[in-house]
Amino acid sequence: MAFRSSTVAPKNRGDRWGLLYVSPFFFIFGIFGLLPILFTVYVSFFHWDPLAGHNYIGLDNFRNLFTDPYFYRAVRNTFSIFLISFVPQTILALLLANFLANPQLKFKVFWRTILLVPWVTSILSVAIIFSELFGQNYGMVNVAMHYLGLSHIGIHDVNWVGQTIPSHIAISSMIIYRNLGYASLIYLASMLAIPRDLYESASLDGASKLQQFRYVTIPQLKNTLTFMLIVGTIGGLQTFLEPLTYGGVQGGDSRQFSTLALYLYEQIIINNKFGYAAAIGVAITILTVIISGVNFLVTRRISGGES
Amino acid sequence: MFRGNLRKFFVAGISLFTLLGGVLSPMSQAAAPINLSIWTYGNVIDPVLIAQYKKLHPNITIVAKKSDLDGNAQALRYALPSSAVPDIAAVEISYMGEFRNYTQYLTDLSTLTPGAPSLASKYLSWRWNNMVADSGQVLGVPTDVGGLAVAYRIDLFKKAGLPTAPAAVSALWPTWDKFIETGKGYVAKQKGKAFIDIAQTIYTAVVNQGAQKYYDGSGNLVYDNNPNIQAAFNYTAAASQANLGTNVAQYSPDWNVGLNKGLYATVLAPAWMLQYIKQYAPKTTGLWNIATLPGNAGNQGGSALTIPTHAAHPQEAWDFIRWYTAPAQQKFEFINNLTFPTVTSLYTDPKVGDLKDPFFNNAPIGKIYSDSVKSVQPFQLGKKDRLIDSTIGQALSRVQLGKQLPQAAWTQAMSDIRRAIN
Repeated sequence: MAFRSSTVAPKNRGDRWGLLYVSPFFFIFGIFGLLPILFTVYVSFFHWDPLAGHNYIGLDNFRNLFTDPYFYRAVRNTFSIFLISFVPQTILALLLANFLANPQLKFKVFWRTILLVPWVTSILSVAIIFSELFGQNYGMVNVAMHYLGLSHIGIHDVNWVGQTIPSHIAISSMIIYRNLGYASLIYLASMLAIPRDLYESASLDGASKLQQFRYVTIPQLKNTLTFMLIVGTIGGLQTFLEPLTYGGVQGGDSRQFSTLALYLYEQIIINNKFGYAAAIGVAITILTVIISGVNFLVTRRISGGES
Repeated sequence: MFRGNLRKFFVAGISLFTLLGGVLSPMSQAAAPINLSIWTYGNVIDPVLIAQYKKLHPNITIVAKKSDLDGNAQALRYALPSSAVPDIAAVEISYMGEFRNYTQYLTDLSTLTPGAPSLASKYLSWRWNNMVADSGQVLGVPTDVGGLAVAYRIDLFKKAGLPTAPAAVSALWPTWDKFIETGKGYVAKQKGKAFIDIAQTIYTAVVNQGAQKYYDGSGNLVYDNNPNIQAAFNYTAAASQANLGTNVAQYSPDWNVGLNKGLYATVLAPAWMLQYIKQYAPKTTGLWNIATLPGNAGNQGGSALTIPTHAAHPQEAWDFIRWYTAPAQQKFEFINNLTFPTVTSLYTDPKVGDLKDPFFNNAPIGKIYSDSVKSVQPFQLGKKDRLIDSTIGQALSRVQLGKQLPQAAWTQAMSDIRRAIN
């Protein structure tokens, strides 16, 4: 008996000590994470101008938001830029990772380091350089397309800022450039964790390299792919600095590349409407929760179906 | 062992700091140092002059925090009601319409010594009055004024068979209609070249020639029925539709290259932009000259220095502002950086009035810009100036890119503005 109680008591105490050890995180999260979120919700019920003061207007900001065509345009742009960046990025990253996973590859560390270099450059410098590349009259992309003979099929002097889809492609290319190496390394890590005997038995069964990639590698990466999808959508919903640097606060003359985060910023910088900006912030949060929920359900269905 | 060493190390470190602190602090107290903080943007504050001021006042250290124009104004909106304000804040003319409404957050410079009104007569009156609140408080002193003139390429004008002497060029366009007509003739002869870098710049030029902008004298919004706004919009749309300009954004990398390659025959340039052209298109030296703007009067931009109410050192800030905006310093800035002075006595100063620049073919820059700023009519600035400017700017860009016809663009701009200011 005595033995029993003495084992129980320290265990409980240990739990409490554990809470104490993790408390700094919750303390800091509370101040810098939770409080600002709650305050944002509070501000969204006001007409709020830091200089002129604020007055309570109930749900007016949200009512305006639902009828605001530019909010919906920002939603559209955000998802369009996400798709145009995420799909090619995933395909390219898988191919690169597959290449790097090759055991015969020389200078492995060198290639992996090179891949990660864009990830450590700042978004701002990437955006500035890419803005130069995508210039309409003298940008390198247009010049390259000209020499590739694309002008013969009617593609020349593309206005990469003024037109909707070209601007999305330009912004997506910045996101891909920066994230590709990081994504490749994540895929590489989980590819290296795939048991080699799976490949051996596949090749014994006569599967080609391509078939091995399709039927062994990809299914084994399912969890990693889901993880990247969730992280990618959350990041995609926050796309901000690339479009801002590329073409200004309003995201183009027809708001053709105004993302949700940029539209929020425009409400603060140009329109001086903090309450409305807060309402957009709340909407982004709700969208993130919904999409994460959908992701979670889809993932559970997939993994449930597998096992 | 290791632990003991570490503790010794810390103890030694801490005592060293206390020791140094004890030795150093009395020395620094003797000089009574003051840190003056400035929030600024662009080239409003010149580091060369800051270094000079430090030599004159060794105890005052100026710490300038530089952002972009919009970011600076945004930071001020947050900061002004709080105590976390700079001692001096630079405000651009397009934001002054907003800040001049908040007299509780900006120091009335009349209350400092010597009072600001004693300085008023020295400055360009409409520019000075931009900084005065409706209720009479003086909220800032203008450091510079934009002015506006037409910088043009002599070589390109010659190729197109146009006159090249400034007087003859100015005579080509006494009105905006004539300016657009000249442009049409130019692009007909010079295929693939633009007459003006960006047609949308015509809008600001015409708007600032009016006696009223987006607000009437009593502060009511008149953006949707002010005939001058409509005229400015129509001139710009006409220039866009006649393909007088390019599709690039001003100050973008593409624009810089075009400047170097002679893609545009003219640029509507405030004085401060001349310095930019010199910096970014150094190879075009001697190929430029400067003509007057259609209608002569013109302004674009201009900055001023203000003191937030909660500033820690208002009197020292005021001493600095008075020095920085005094004739000698403004003259220095004009000669070195081509920012145009707001002190009117300088317009007749030989160093300013007769300033010629070989880059611009010895055009009488001083005279051209002083003529242009002197004939500007004062108009009421208002809270939503920046918002309305940029929304109409978007509409004009849609016309330029052929996304919308002028009428549709105007209608959309008006509804966009109505939605945004509510």
